Amino acid sequence: MAEVLQKTILITGVSSWWGERLARLLVTWPGYRVLGLDTELPSAPIPDLQFTQADIRNPLLVELLRAEQVTDVCHLAFHLSERPNEQAFDYNVMGSMKVFGACAAAGVRKILWLSSTAVYGARPRNPAYLSEQHPLDGSRQYGYTRDLVEVEAFCNAFRQQHPEIELTILRCANIIGPRCDTPMTRFLNEPLPPTLLGFDPMLQFIHEDDVVAALAHAVSQPVSGVFNLAAPDHLPLSKALGLAGKLPLPVIHWCAYWGRDLRIGDLFGRLPLGLDYLRYRWVADLERMRSEFDFEPAISAEQALRNFATERQTGQAVPGALLRPYDLGRLSDLVKKGSSRIRQTFTAQNAGEEQDV
Amino acid sequence: MSETSQRQLCAATTQAGAPCKNLARPGSRYCHLHQLQTERAVDDQTAQLRRELGQELDALVSRLRQAFPAYEPPPFTSPGRFEQVRRYVTGLPAGLQRFRPNLNEDLFDPQVWRGLWYLANYTLKYQADFAKRRLTGEFETDPWGLDWEFVQLARPFFEFMYDRYWRIEMSGVEHIPEQGRALLVCNHSGQLPWDGSMLATGIYNLHPRARLARSLYDTWFPTLPFFSTILERGGQVLATVENGTRLLEQEELVAVFPEGIKGVGKLFRDRYRLARFGRGGFIRMALDTQSPIYPVSIVGAEETYISLAKSELIARMINFPFFPISITWPWLGLLGFVPLPTKWYIDIGPALPMDGYSPGASSDLVLVARLTDQVRNTIQEMVNARLAQRKSVFFG
Repeated sequence: MAEVLQKTILITGVSSWWGERLARLLVTWPGYRVLGLDTELPSAPIPDLQFTQADIRNPLLVELLRAEQVTDVCHLAFHLSERPNEQAFDYNVMGSMKVFGACAAAGVRKILWLSSTAVYGARPRNPAYLSEQHPLDGSRQYGYTRDLVEVEAFCNAFRQQHPEIELTILRCANIIGPRCDTPMTRFLNEPLPPTLLGFDPMLQFIHEDDVVAALAHAVSQPVSGVFNLAAPDHLPLSKALGLAGKLPLPVIHWCAYWGRDLRIGDLFGRLPLGLDYLRYRWVADLERMRSEFDFEPAISAEQALRNFATERQTGQAVPGALLRPYDLGRLSDLVKKGSSRIRQTFTAQNAGEEQDV
Repeated sequence: MSETSQRQLCAATTQAGAPCKNLARPGSRYCHLHQLQTERAVDDQTAQLRRELGQELDALVSRLRQAFPAYEPPPFTSPGRFEQVRRYVTGLPAGLQRFRPNLNEDLFDPQVWRGLWYLANYTLKYQADFAKRRLTGEFETDPWGLDWEFVQLARPFFEFMYDRYWRIEMSGVEHIPEQGRALLVCNHSGQLPWDGSMLATGIYNLHPRARLARSLYDTWFPTLPFFSTILERGGQVLATVENGTRLLEQEELVAVFPEGIKGVGKLFRDRYRLARFGRGGFIRMALDTQSPIYPVSIVGAEETYISLAKSELIARMINFPFFPISITWPWLGLLGFVPLPTKWYIDIGPALPMDGYSPGASSDLVLVARLTDQVRNTIQEMVNARLAQRKSVFFG
C-alpha cells in the first residue's frame, strides 16, 4: 500500500488523558508517524509511539522538531488548576508559548490546540449564541480559564506573525465522560453540586469520545481556524444535574460570591467552575463547526449525561423505583392492589350491564 | 254615644253611588256588608297578576328551551335551591365531581371512601411525580430556554392579572400574521416589565394560532435571581441585535421595547412621553430579516406605579440601573411591588412593511434613523389617540 500521506505528528502531553487516547488512535492510521512528549510515561505502553521524556519548556524542543521533521504538532499539555497559581501559569502559558515558538522556528506546518468555550466568559450581556469572533472575556478567578485566555491572546498575535502555519484551536464546551477528568466531571462528582439560587443557565456539553474524534478529524482534514465544539443540544443546569442523578445545593448568589472572595470554607474555593459560569448563559454558536469544520458530535448532551450517571454510578438523588412516569398503567396497578371484593363487584356490575344490553 | 262617634264610617260606596252610612267594623275600614266584597276583589286582583306572571314565565321558559334544549328552569323551593347550589359548586376538583351523584346515598359506603382515597392518592402522586421529574431532569426546553410546562404553570397568574386585575382590552390582534416573522415594537412603562408579559398573555389567548410573543429583555435582568430563570423559561430572550435577528430568522414573533430602561424608569410626570428609541437596533433587525413592524401602544401601565423620583445613589450602591421612589416603594417594603389596578388598553397597529429596501439598507444610518423616528411617532400618536378617549385611569 503506497503511503500517499506522510505526516509526522508530535503530541505534547501524550501521557495526559487526551494525548494517550489520540496517540492510540493515530498510531493505527497508515501514513502517520506519531511522536510523544511528556514528563511522565504513559499509563500503559503505546505501540509504535516514539516517546521522548522531556518537559515542553525544554529549549531542545526545536532540535527535536527539526531532527524528526515534524509536520504537525498537537499541543495537549495543559494543567487544569482551579486556583490561579504561578507554577501552572508557567507550564500552561509560558510552555505553550515556547512550544509555538519552537514550531515556528522548526517550520511546522500545522498546530492543533485544545481550548474551552469558557474563554468567552459568562457575562450577563452575552448573546444567546457566542460566535468564534466574540471577544474573549473569561473569568480571571479560575486558574485554567485565566491561562486559556492568555494562550488564546498569544495565539491571535502568533497567527498574524506566522500566517504560513495553520493554527487550529478547538474550543470545547463542558467535556464529560465516564473516564476523563475535567472541571465539569469534577463538578458533577461533588456530593451536592452547589448552584446559585434562582439562576439556571443553559449549558453545553460534549462527550469525551467526541473530543478525541474531533482532534483526529482536525489532524486528518485540511481545516484550520478557531472552532467551537459542542453537542448540538444544550440544556439548563438543573436538567443537567437531574440527568446526572445529582441534587443541587442552591446557595444565595451574593453569599457564594462573598464566600469565594473571603475564602470561607472549602466549598467555593474548590468549586471547579467559576460562579459566573453557573449564573449566566455561555452557549457557543456551532454553525462553523458544522459548515467549515464539517464535524458533528455523535453523542448528544442528554445522552452523554445519562451515560455519565450510569457509568460513574453517581448516587441517584431520587431512588429509581420512584422515577417511573405516573400514567394510567400505574393507576390500574393501584386499583389491582385494592381488595378483590371491589374487583368482584366491578366485574359483576359490568357483567350485569352487558346482559342488560 | 261617645263610642259610636269614635268609630269611623264605612269607606265603600253603595250601589246607588252614595257613601255607605254603616259604621266600619273594628280593625277595618269597611262595614260588615262591604268588608268581604272588597277583600275578595283585592284577592282577585293579585291572583290575576300571579296568573299573568306565571304565563309570562312559562312562555319565557319555553322560548329558552327552544333556544337551549338542555336548559332546566331553576327550582324555586328552598330544598331545590340547596340542591342547585350543591350541583354548581365548581370548587370541587374534577375527580370529586364524578362522585357527586353518589354522595347522598353512598356516604356511609366504605367503597366510596376507598375510591376517594385512591383519587387523593393519585393526585398527590401526580404532584410528587411532577416535582421528581423536575429534579431528575425529565423535562424539555427549547434552545432559547423556553419550557412549555412552565408556561402552562404560570399562565393562570398572568391571566388573572390580564382579565381581572387590569381588565385589559386588546385590539388589532388580527393584524398579527398566523405564521412567519413579525416584530412588535411597543412603548415601555411601569417600573417593572409587566407590559411585556401582558402583551404576550393577550396575544397567546386571542391569536387564532396562540402565538407566543418573545420579548427581548434588558441586560440587567440576567443578573437578578429568579427573574432571569423565569424570563428564560417563559420564552423571553436577552435583547441583543444578534438574538433578535436569529429569532426573526426562525420565523418567531418578537416583541421589542426600544425605550429600554429609560422607558421603564420613567417618572410619573413624564408618563406617555416616549423616550429615545435606543440606537435603532430593532430597525436593523427588521431590515436585515425583512420582517414587518407592528407598532403597539400600551396605555394604563404608566399608572401602575407612581414613581416620584429616582435615587442615583442607591441605584449605584446596589448596582441597579435605576432605583425608583414611588408612593409605596420602598416605604412599604415588598408591598410596594403591588401594582395599582388601572385599566389597560393594548392597541396593535397595522404592519409597516420593511421588505421594500435593498439588502444592505441596515447599514444606511440615515435610513435607520428616519425609520426609527417614524415608528416612534406612530406609536406616540397611537398612545395619544387612546389617551384622548380614556376618561378614567381606573375604569377606562
